[in-house]
Amino acid sequence: MTDLNHIEKKAFLVKSSSLKDVRTFCREVFEKLNIEQNLKDELVLAIAEAAQNIVKHAYKDKPDVNEIMVVEISLVNKEMKIAFYDMGTPVDPKKVKHREIDNVKPGGLGTFFMQEIMDAVEFKEGKKPWINHLVLTKQL
Amino acid sequence: MTYKITEEDNISTIFLDGEIDMDKTEEVKEVIFPIIDSGKDVALNLSNVQYMDSSGISVLIESHQKALEKGTKVIIKDVSKSVLKVIMMAKLEQILNLE
Repeated sequence: MTDLNHIEKKAFLVKSSSLKDVRTFCREVFEKLNIEQNLKDELVLAIAEAAQNIVKHAYKDKPDVNEIMVVEISLVNKEMKIAFYDMGTPVDPKKVKHREIDNVKPGGLGTFFMQEIMDAVEFKEGKKPWINHLVLTKQL
Repeated sequence: MTYKITEEDNISTIFLDGEIDMDKTEEVKEVIFPIIDSGKDVALNLSNVQYMDSSGISVLIESHQKALEKGTKVIIKDVSKSVLKVIMMAKLEQILNLE
């Protein structure tokens, strides 16, 4: 892994077909950072789950809007931060929880994966024009 | 995502290929569910699926549960290392029929 501090961000249309582009962007950034394959796969999954939640939940009530979400990846002093910005329905962090993992049923795993992979999953106050601002953090 | 289906006895083997995310799950369900509904056992070959997220895992769970309801079974075969890791993260390796 490189020791250089690094920051990159990219905007994506909020739609499910953008998820592949989000993964491609992340893989390219992690490639530049020389992050090893296992960790890269995990980080890509966590990021893709967060982006999926924006498409699936924050824009549940406005599926046809042509809005963007922004993904920002930064690595500073070996702390990886992945920030998400969107203008969807405000998320109530208290309501964001995964299902009981032993209660096997479809759904509710995305948040669990994010929490398993990352050190912290936090909603911060979105600064205008953004409504939601999610930050995933991991020490590398 | 692409797929191929082969038939042998009462087992349909579905070879899935590509990355399975929220954008592809309906397509995957449209391939798998009618076969389960027809009463056949299904083998899902995932050797060429290099990425699967929680939406894809949900399809595996739904397929497994649907097969149980129908009295058939879904076997998951030749799982790629990256997908197996996600299945294990979801603690499903003892629930799903992995071969």
